[in-house]
Amino acid sequence: MLADRAKAMQRVCFGAEPSEADLELLGSRERWLVYRDLVRNRLNTVIGVALARTKSAIGEDAFGRAVDEWFDTGSPKTRYLRYVPSELSEFAIPIWQLTETPWVADLAGYEISAWEVRHGPRNPESVGEFAFDKKPVLAAAVKVLRLAYPVHERPTPKKGYEPKPTILCLYRDGNHKAVPQILNPLAADLLEAWRTTDQTVAESVQTVAAAHNTDIGPTFIEKLSTLITHFIQEGILLGGHSPPS
Amino acid sequence: MTRDVAGIGLGLRYDLATELLERQPKSVAWLEIHPENYIDRGGRYQEMLELAREDWPVVTHGLSTCLGSAEPFDASYLKGLGTFLRDLEIPWHSEHLCLGGVDDRFFHDLLPLPFTEESAQMSSQRLIEVRDAIGVPLALENASYYAPQGPDGLAEADFVVEVLQKADAKLLLDVNNIYVNGRNFDFDPKAYIDKIPMERVVQIHVAGHFVRDDGLRIDTHGEPVPDDVYELLDYTLRKTGPVPVLLERDNNVPPLDDLLSEVDELWKIYRNATGIVDAG
Ligand SMILES: [Fe+2]
Repeated sequence: MLADRAKAMQRVCFGAEPSEADLELLGSRERWLVYRDLVRNRLNTVIGVALARTKSAIGEDAFGRAVDEWFDTGSPKTRYLRYVPSELSEFAIPIWQLTETPWVADLAGYEISAWEVRHGPRNPESVGEFAFDKKPVLAAAVKVLRLAYPVHERPTPKKGYEPKPTILCLYRDGNHKAVPQILNPLAADLLEAWRTTDQTVAESVQTVAAAHNTDIGPTFIEKLSTLITHFIQEGILLGGHSPPS
Repeated sequence: MTRDVAGIGLGLRYDLATELLERQPKSVAWLEIHPENYIDRGGRYQEMLELAREDWPVVTHGLSTCLGSAEPFDASYLKGLGTFLRDLEIPWHSEHLCLGGVDDRFFHDLLPLPFTEESAQMSSQRLIEVRDAIGVPLALENASYYAPQGPDGLAEADFVVEVLQKADAKLLLDVNNIYVNGRNFDFDPKAYIDKIPMERVVQIHVAGHFVRDDGLRIDTHGEPVPDDVYELLDYTLRKTGPVPVLLERDNNVPPLDDLLSEVDELWKIYRNATGIVDAG
């Protein structure tokens, strides 16, 4: 009985069109439509804040249709309101890739990444000093984005973005805002290696430099040390862990 | 070690945190947070909580551990919640007596439970299960609702009392919710208060609400506390004695001074009703 009511509530709140049978089961048709509005409005608000530029690029109607479709077929699996826009994006970006002008999917991917960085996890508490013979420790909220359009440039041009391959690092700055920084392909690969592999800094530098056919000479080392200093100053790179002996 | 929570508190919210944490007004005796907003989250929220804890005792109020849902709990979530709560040294945690999700999907709103034996049985069992899992005292909160769930509005009070007794639980008594329900379902809020076993009340919530054109009252926490709710608080505190009172303001957040005037008003009522003269 309770389970049947709960499922009817779910269909009334998230279904494309609430059925009269469900509304009758729950009783008080008009008041259950109030619940439908309350539930959808709250979710729409957080999604609209996270994807504000995407929403204005696509237009309220088309954006709203994607959200409605997500409500109808999915709805939030997360208990955390801050992850709701991510779940919607996972559903909607593939649709926008097919239906919208090509840079819109990049813009949505950029906006949701910035949202996730801003609201992302805490940094680890105890991190050792950075050293080339240690495994590097990155901040918890750092993302590398590879885009076909420079959608981080604001405001959105009236005629849309011209293609321009762009690699960005998104990180949380000292004011807790998500900040984009342009990376060259080698720096981006290094940052990703630091996040995903168990190699020490020295090992990962060798692997990535080899993959880019780059000699590790004095110029390279000077540029690398500038990059590492910058990453440390910006809180992107926190330090290092000694590899297990 | 838990920290003493007494007098008038304020909900810590992003929109008011900067001014609150800078000014540290003495009239605010403690703060309440929603753990879902802080668990596994860095950035400004982490900073807000760390700064808040330097100056105030903190109490937690959950949004998503749905006491009314039929599905098993997510054990890993409860474990993480317990760790988070114990680190905060809170005297108790609270959750709503409502349905928050179905089939592992979340409404992100508080949906009502029918006032039936089946609901009471299930909610009380779940309350015990959560309380055991988190390892801190757990109070349930009476919720506001908009679609009828029982033969009349006062049936809700009987339902709440039944869950409290079955689970031997504490109560976070939300007087605004009772007032809103009383106006929406045509019952006397004081008659509801009279049914509550006062020895179970560990905390009180007050808030404002929105009145729609058609008269339906929606529990938005987005308006100033109306006089009728202040009066109901006074009536309640005369029965409970000095139970800590929290001002909830989640939406349409005004300048801090406006909220502090409401806090002052709450102190006046608190002192008058309980005879406490030196707190705050
Ligand atoms: Fe409340």
